[in-house]
Amino acid sequence: MTPFADNSIAELSIRAETVEVRRASAWLEQASLDRGVPPEEIARIELCLNEALANVISHSGNEVLSSPISLQFQVHRDQSANAATLMVSDSGTPFDPFSISPQPRPKTLAEAEPGGLGLLMMRNLADKASYRYLDGRNQITFSVHWAEGQ
Amino acid sequence: MAVDINFEDVSENFRRISLSGRLDILGTDSIELKFTSLAVATQRRVVVDLTAISFLASIGIRALISNAKALQQRGGKMVLFVGDNASIIKTLETTGIDTLIPVVTDAALADTIALA
Repeated sequence: MTPFADNSIAELSIRAETVEVRRASAWLEQASLDRGVPPEEIARIELCLNEALANVISHSGNEVLSSPISLQFQVHRDQSANAATLMVSDSGTPFDPFSISPQPRPKTLAEAEPGGLGLLMMRNLADKASYRYLDGRNQITFSVHWAEGQ
Repeated sequence: MAVDINFEDVSENFRRISLSGRLDILGTDSIELKFTSLAVATQRRVVVDLTAISFLASIGIRALISNAKALQQRGGKMVLFVGDNASIIKTLETTGIDTLIPVVTDAALADTIALA
């Protein structure tokens, strides 16, 4: 048995407010450490969480205030690979962020425009990302993977 | 954790700005106005020290880009000094910002590029 065999689901509910994002980050970091997730993978999934929450809080309309944002985190292990998976669920306006085509990257600073970076980070930092709308809630799921011994 | 922001004027038109802490939503909001007031001026050369930044979200990157762009429009230049801060280097590379603003691991080289 590995020293980190905890595959229990960690759960947290937060209000759709920016002050709650740090509480969610601290919760995710601790849950990841408790389950032996390597630092680089913690950094990646924590960035995905921050970008997802920023997106929800900014763009999900008043509906998102009607019930808490739900977070679920779990680590799966097998002999060949490990995966840390985070699901962010909210009651906001239905929106699949991964349906948006990536914007072309600017070639110069003068061409650079704000916006689109959060989605780019979620796409590039997660090893797997998906969206579904179920029972009146948006569900975004991220996974980061690593090899044993990493 | 609050974001600390400090600066040092090396010469009349050359300023080093040091940031430390988390540049997430709260952290960026807390320093954005001061950062702009310190960074953006005509012909100013600025090295932004990110070696003590522990977390860099997209909102923090947007602040760096918008101020670097404003500085460039005024004939100035911004360079990001990251030292051996691997997580910040990875975030900047992931978003491609290193192709828009010079990202430098060596402090002396950061100064040289800013003044070039």
